[in-house]
Amino acid sequence: MNIAGAALLVALGPLLGGRVGEPSGESAHQVTPAAVRLRVGSADWQQVQFDAARFDSVTANALREILDTAAERGLPTAPLINRALEGAARKVNGARILMVVREYSAALEQARTMLGFQSTVQELEAGASALRAGIDAIVVASVRATRPRGGADVPLMVLTDIVKRGVPTGTARDAVNSIARMPKSDDALLGLQSTVAKNAVRGPGMAVDALHRYVRITVPAIGPPSAPATLDRKPIRPPPP
Amino acid sequence: MTDRRDVLPFDAPDGHDDELAAIVAAMYAATPAADTGAADRCARAVLAQSMHVPERGAIGLLRPRWWWGAAAAMLVVAVAVKPWRSRAPLLDADSTATRGAATQTRANEVSQPTGTVTPIDGGDGVRFDLTLPAAAREVAIVGDFNGWDENATRMSRQSAAQTWSAEVPLAPGRHVYAFVVDGTRWLVDPLAPQVPDAGFGPSNAVIVEGGTR
Repeated sequence: MNIAGAALLVALGPLLGGRVGEPSGESAHQVTPAAVRLRVGSADWQQVQFDAARFDSVTANALREILDTAAERGLPTAPLINRALEGAARKVNGARILMVVREYSAALEQARTMLGFQSTVQELEAGASALRAGIDAIVVASVRATRPRGGADVPLMVLTDIVKRGVPTGTARDAVNSIARMPKSDDALLGLQSTVAKNAVRGPGMAVDALHRYVRITVPAIGPPSAPATLDRKPIRPPPP
Repeated sequence: MTDRRDVLPFDAPDGHDDELAAIVAAMYAATPAADTGAADRCARAVLAQSMHVPERGAIGLLRPRWWWGAAAAMLVVAVAVKPWRSRAPLLDADSTATRGAATQTRANEVSQPTGTVTPIDGGDGVRFDLTLPAAAREVAIVGDFNGWDENATRMSRQSAAQTWSAEVPLAPGRHVYAFVVDGTRWLVDPLAPQVPDAGFGPSNAVIVEGGTR
């Protein structure tokens, strides 16, 4: 399948009842120039064009092959085109652009494995970013579990950002998941990101403290407050191993 | 040589030193005794002007201390300079591809820019505002929404100093963007959600309201 076919496949996928990027066979239509439409949100569309003139001929041909391969695997090509265009705008050499686009394609595929084939393009992008930031795939899957019906892009983006700012992965995962389980909590998640970002300027410890305060305020307490494990004032020293 | 008889306040007899000594002794004996109270008062006044007298109570606490100046200087440094704060990790890249550019940026001493993303009322788009710490000739915004084209979305300078703005029509969803200052320097908003370095350098992600859940 060439890139034009991939474009049409991705464009018509949601309309035909399939998932984005789900392989469904060859298309007989030809679209020139190559354009990829991707689903954004629920009903909006965005067009991403692969402008070959912004690359040298060798790089452009190699990019076409990468995009065709990604389309054959059912991956969205718009994020790959965007990374290539970003590299061209930053005046990076062609070899590095190709390397980054290949790595990003692999990250998208891994993200789809962890998030599921029903994921939107945005969720796949957010998942790929999280994986590239060093976040464990199990953590990414746990975020998906909080929102199994979609909308995992904002939690994944916030998780990636606060981990990048120095919050330990386990702490960030617990905070994001606890907020993401609440209904209509995207704004609360963005508030968490903003709070952590402002406090991370003073160090990771301050960021973690701010995160705990924010979660304590935002997430309603479930059940009675925890009782102490023992009534003794003196803690019991655990036996030596 | 001056004869000492010339400086005496009385007529000194010639050649009779014993008589002269007797007159002096009599004058000394006739001199009244010194007032010790006056001398005491004089000494106390001099000492009171030259020595610290410890005071008790609240007035004593308000008396200027020698270390007040040093404390004020340390307070100014702590409030204005914040020497424990590091701005280096906020800005530029952990990317090997942009390591040279990042070094150059630090050498140019670019401090922290501040940006805001505001949804436009009644429209499908957002307004990007970027405040730079230093002067710039032109600022552009690049991202997924304009094909990462520096010439596609130029930001306009506002009346406020070094504040640049642009309104961009955006569909709800996730978009990645960055700012380009003077065509060479790439900046990100340090407080906005950041995506990891894909290999080119850092950039921001934005979520447009309306697509939130």
